[in-house]
Amino acid sequence: MKKLVVCALCAALVVPTLAVSVSADDSKELVLYTWENMFPQEVLDGFEEETGIKVVYSNFDTDENMLEKLSMAKGGDYDVIVADDYIIQTAIEEGLVEKLDTSKLTGWKNINPLYQGQFYDPNDEYTAPYGAGIPLIVYDPELVDIDIKGYNDLWDASLEDSIALTANYRVLNGITNLALGQDFNDQNTDDIAKTGEKLLELAPNVRLIQDDNTQDALLNGEASVAFLYTSQVTTALQENPDLKVVYPEEGLGFGVMGMFIPSQAPDKDEAYQFMDYILQPENAAKCFDYIGYYCTNKAADSLLENQDLVVPDSVTEGSAVENISAEADEAYNKNWTEFKAACN
Amino acid sequence: MKKKKSGAVWMILPLYIFTIIFVAGPLLYMVALSFAQPKAGHGVEWIFTLENYKKILDPVYMQTFTGSFKLALTSTLFICLIGYPFGYFMAKLSDKWKKRAMIFLMLPFWVNSLIRLYGWMIILQTKGLLNHALKSLGLIDKPLRILYSYPAIVIGMTYVLLPFMILSVYSSAEKLDWSLVEAARDLGAKPFKAFWTVSFKLTLPGLLSGVILTFVPSMGLFFIADILGGNKIVLVGSLIQEQMTRGSNWPFAAALAVVLMILTTLMIMLYRKITNAKELEGVG
Amino acid sequence: MKKNSKLSGFYLGLIFVLMYLPIAVVIVFSFNESKLPVRFTGFSLKWYQQLFSDSAMIEALGNSLFLGVVSCLVSAVIGTLGAVGLSRIHWKTKGALEYISILPLMIPEIILGMVMMAFFYMLNLPFGMLTLLIGHTVFCVPYILMEVKARLAGMDPSLEEAARDLGAGPFRAFWDIILPLIMPAVMSGSLLAFAMSMDDVVISIFINGPRLSTLPIKVYTQIKTGVTPEVNALCTIMLAVTILILLIYTAIGKITGRNQKNN
Repeated sequence: MKKLVVCALCAALVVPTLAVSVSADDSKELVLYTWENMFPQEVLDGFEEETGIKVVYSNFDTDENMLEKLSMAKGGDYDVIVADDYIIQTAIEEGLVEKLDTSKLTGWKNINPLYQGQFYDPNDEYTAPYGAGIPLIVYDPELVDIDIKGYNDLWDASLEDSIALTANYRVLNGITNLALGQDFNDQNTDDIAKTGEKLLELAPNVRLIQDDNTQDALLNGEASVAFLYTSQVTTALQENPDLKVVYPEEGLGFGVMGMFIPSQAPDKDEAYQFMDYILQPENAAKCFDYIGYYCTNKAADSLLENQDLVVPDSVTEGSAVENISAEADEAYNKNWTEFKAACN
Repeated sequence: MKKKKSGAVWMILPLYIFTIIFVAGPLLYMVALSFAQPKAGHGVEWIFTLENYKKILDPVYMQTFTGSFKLALTSTLFICLIGYPFGYFMAKLSDKWKKRAMIFLMLPFWVNSLIRLYGWMIILQTKGLLNHALKSLGLIDKPLRILYSYPAIVIGMTYVLLPFMILSVYSSAEKLDWSLVEAARDLGAKPFKAFWTVSFKLTLPGLLSGVILTFVPSMGLFFIADILGGNKIVLVGSLIQEQMTRGSNWPFAAALAVVLMILTTLMIMLYRKITNAKELEGVG
Repeated sequence: MKKNSKLSGFYLGLIFVLMYLPIAVVIVFSFNESKLPVRFTGFSLKWYQQLFSDSAMIEALGNSLFLGVVSCLVSAVIGTLGAVGLSRIHWKTKGALEYISILPLMIPEIILGMVMMAFFYMLNLPFGMLTLLIGHTVFCVPYILMEVKARLAGMDPSLEEAARDLGAGPFRAFWDIILPLIMPAVMSGSLLAFAMSMDDVVISIFINGPRLSTLPIKVYTQIKTGVTPEVNALCTIMLAVTILILLIYTAIGKITGRNQKNN
């Protein structure tokens, strides 16, 4: 007993001192706020070497958590943030985002225009895109008898208890809307009720609903079909190249992650330097290869090791999850809870 | 007498101060939040409303509560059945082995619980260790599909919460005067009767605190249903999680939490009435 | 009695095996070549290499250990004194206080984290280690309080009175008589509290400061791109180091014990 306590005490005192001695005291710092593993260590080290600015990597788990922290800090505390599109829209509306001075960003011209002028930042005043995602259907042709072409095929009776789904309620409602021929962000409550009914019919086919590591279920044989985020599609294909990827014929969902500087960021100059560093093609290529999202940097396309990360030419548009009325949101929420309960 | 009391006051003062500021403060905020309105997009509008509580009455959400209770009860039952004998036996070990057992019990905590659950995922999956073992033993022909099912969630819950039960039972069984049990045996009581009349009664407070420490958190643990259950059962914990994040409806989440808090309290009070553990008065 | 102890030994062993089964899997997969915990594709040490070049991860581990130990110590003091004090006084507010102090166990972490964050902002506390310590103490106290209460329940109050009659002051009586008796409960409660603190992510993520990260936060926030076996490697090292320290400690104990005997 005592031993255990002594061990813990020793460790608690020794490890922090080690950690402190590792991190040298640098005057120039920058707080980067995003999910863990969004930048390869190599790029962060490269930035520090080139500019002498140390990157303090701070993490959040959900966009909402980030927004809350940022609004409590009144747009301060953090220097560069990478988050999802819809939350950036809210952050901009609340005045938490700095208007970019693009003259400070030599790499601005490298951005792929396909990802510009999006709903959350129509005039490209506040954000630079950092990776895009298109949720796709991936399946194992050896285990699936039918030829899957779109969302509607997911409802096929032969797929009983074999689909793995990601867990974003708006995206799942959205693709059901597309399957019904409705708008991805349909706000009509009668339509949403229909969406709910349609979703319930999908329930018997669902094996699991999970937001993280969803691809694992496909790879270990728990599921034969999966609806996956882009980074998961990339990982799944790397592990098993025989999997088939489907760009659903009914239309695509679409999401962009954006990089922005908070309005009261303490180290704005450093933040600009960091953004510009990431916009350089060779750095951007390393980043996208690492995170496995579609490359949003046109100049980096040819430098990518994984050419699957260059968005296919056939993709010209997709529907993003946009902020909708509270009433519609409520209805979607209810659909989702009912759907999950029906899956059991 | 007077002196004794003043000593007790000093002892209790830190708990009083800390609880009032840092526990009651945030909780009052939560209760207040449950009567507010969600602002479109993000944030809260401080206008009084009962709408959040009305919403809970919707069958969709009521179902979440019954489902959570069922799961929490099932898991707690398994935890008692496995953990009580464990804690009890552990208390009977020699001092040397007691220490070792304690260390063995605590070591797993060095491994992040999320990662340990991934370990279970690998064991339980269709092509996993368990099916492999069962198959080579000739017990099954077709692999069992345990992962992403109800039993998988119960296994996960039991696994994560078991140490809480074991330690509670252990710390109250450890102070047992074994000579009492022996005396009962000497007086002719059968082993089971001796256990029931003496040991069990005396370890009841430990069992009770174990039940509270396992039942209560099992209402809110959503990540087990997520990782091992494939999210197919909606628990109050996951519902609150979703309302807090993607739903951005904090007042509703707060109302759910308040109702959960009240229901859990009622459960504990009921349980205490049944087991009649008067010594633990106050907690409910 | 002999047969009984064999049977109980077997039972303890069996449950321990089940408890360590997933941990064995974690260790095995820390040497897996593939990033995914799906199947074992080949032996590799690359996750260990990656871990050692990841200073942020090590720093986070240090923060977690510090936070766990300090919040556990603070809660042990508050909880133990509180439990003993509660058994002696008969104030009307006593029941309510005890109820409120264990409420943090009844509320899902996410909402507790959120309201704590809002509350700390209201108090204008600087976000960082201080807020983390307070937050962790909030959910650590109940474990110790409940464990000690269970142990105190049914304990003979005459013991202390006897000590007092013999002239021991209240402090002496507590230190010499009560504390040794409740020590196992203080210990088991503290260990649980420490474990909870080391594992907590949901609350910490709300109340940590911009420059501070804990190990569970580092692990949990990888969900966007997938958790890497680097974490498995870290857990394996932590286990190995703890076991090593324990072995050395026992060995030293044995040697010094022998020396004492020889003298």
